[in-house]
Amino acid sequence: MNKLQEYFHTDWAAMTLHDWIGLLLTVTVFLALIYVYAYVLHPKNREKLESQRRLPDDEEPDSEDKK
Amino acid sequence: MEATQVEQKYSFDVVRWFSIAAVVYLVVGTLVGVYVASELAWPWLNMDSPYLSFGRLRPLHTNAVIFAFGGCALMATAYYSVQRTCGVRLFSDALGWFTFWGWNVIIVLAVITLPLGFTSGKEYAELEWPVDILIAVVWLSFSFNFIMTVAKRKTSHIYVSNWFFMGMMVMITYLHVVNSLAIPVTLFKSYSIFSGVQDAMIQWWWGHNAVGFYLTAGFLGIMYYFVPKQAGRPVFSYRLSVLHFWALMFGYVWLGAHHLQYTALPDWTGSLGAAVSLAMIIPSWGGAINGMMTLSGAWDKLRDDYILRFLIMSLAFYAMSTFEGPVMSSKTVNALSHYTDWTVGHVHSGALGWVVMVAAGALYHLVQKLWNTEMYSAKLVNLHFWMATIGAVVYITAMWVSGIMQGLMWRDYDEFGTLTYTFAESVAAMHPYYAMRAIGGMIFWAGAVVMLYNVVMTVRKAPATSTVRAAAARA
Repeated sequence: MNKLQEYFHTDWAAMTLHDWIGLLLTVTVFLALIYVYAYVLHPKNREKLESQRRLPDDEEPDSEDKK
Repeated sequence: MEATQVEQKYSFDVVRWFSIAAVVYLVVGTLVGVYVASELAWPWLNMDSPYLSFGRLRPLHTNAVIFAFGGCALMATAYYSVQRTCGVRLFSDALGWFTFWGWNVIIVLAVITLPLGFTSGKEYAELEWPVDILIAVVWLSFSFNFIMTVAKRKTSHIYVSNWFFMGMMVMITYLHVVNSLAIPVTLFKSYSIFSGVQDAMIQWWWGHNAVGFYLTAGFLGIMYYFVPKQAGRPVFSYRLSVLHFWALMFGYVWLGAHHLQYTALPDWTGSLGAAVSLAMIIPSWGGAINGMMTLSGAWDKLRDDYILRFLIMSLAFYAMSTFEGPVMSSKTVNALSHYTDWTVGHVHSGALGWVVMVAAGALYHLVQKLWNTEMYSAKLVNLHFWMATIGAVVYITAMWVSGIMQGLMWRDYDEFGTLTYTFAESVAAMHPYYAMRAIGGMIFWAGAVVMLYNVVMTVRKAPATSTVRAAAARA
């Protein structure tokens, strides 16, 4: 067994319920983050997302904001 | 829309009270901080009184600045910006006032119980169980009011600042409840349900995430609304803000274990904490650059907009401390920095430089909007800016030097393997830096006093507001 295989060796039989829950959460979060990056950086979503930049400026104009 | 109509449409009174309370608590909290810092430089200031001892006043300082000042600043800005970005009034005025008075009762209870020595012994969560329950009730009321306001919004999209505020609310509820689980023994004494290494892990899961979700995510909510508003320009990249939000939400919860390197905690947890800490530099710097680049093409505004200076300087400190933290979490650096004043310096570069500066900028902006006037003195805003910047830099520099010196003295040994310095010698060597830290803190505190004076004078010199409010009440 080379060193890398040794490093990543896991004793699956020894996994407790907490270990499985932790593993599942970790993988889910990892996949969710990949989805978020892909969604946000996809060119077709650019216009949709960037159009929200001006939302604070689009508050109904009032005398306060015109100062 | 006329000022009267704005006053009618939105619920601003509770925001006004939270804003003023935040400035008052900033002065009080930093004053206690200066006193405890002075006690370390000149121990006779303890005056042999247990009520004035460092051990009792230090949690009073941290609770005052984090929860009294930070909480009021967060609640003022959250209640204001959610109404403006959603185009609707607060879900419930009554719940808003309950939040205000409830939060202030908690602060009063902290002022009474902490100097008397009632403490759970958990860092940044020292208050005893009855107060913990009250915190949960008030915090949930605040969160419910905010989320329901978002729910009845007129806009189709939920602006990114509201996402950051809601992320903070969800996570702080979860963190506070779990970390505070305890068995009450008497009215003022309880013991954590966790013990040993689990207790340590829960403590720093809470401790670091109080920084990550309360002092970072919450104040990023402030940044994403108030920087574009004060600059009069849209945020540099909305897509970057979305990535910033999700990466922060998914990443921060893993970091707590980096506070427990070289302890009984399994080694891999510390390594994981450090690895994710280093990965967090990417979204943190993305956010800082996003805020700063909002000024792209309009940097000249910094020349005469002193409020904007606060906001942009806070982002520089945010970038600096979110780089420094991950570096300190790595095991090699941690071996030197842990338990030293370097950690104290790092915390204050985030607290003074990022949290207070961004909140001060937002509060100045708010005061002008809420009282429908300009600041009483722009020069005093500028004076405050320089006092805050210089005070923070003096403080941080003193702690860097003393921390690194401490770490080096503690690990130094001679050719026989004997420690070169006793602990007492390292304490004595710190004296000049402790004095320098106290002076830096005093400069920062004096700046806060200038802010309070300027805010009070602005409110007093804004007679138009009372007319507008009276007209709104009559309408």
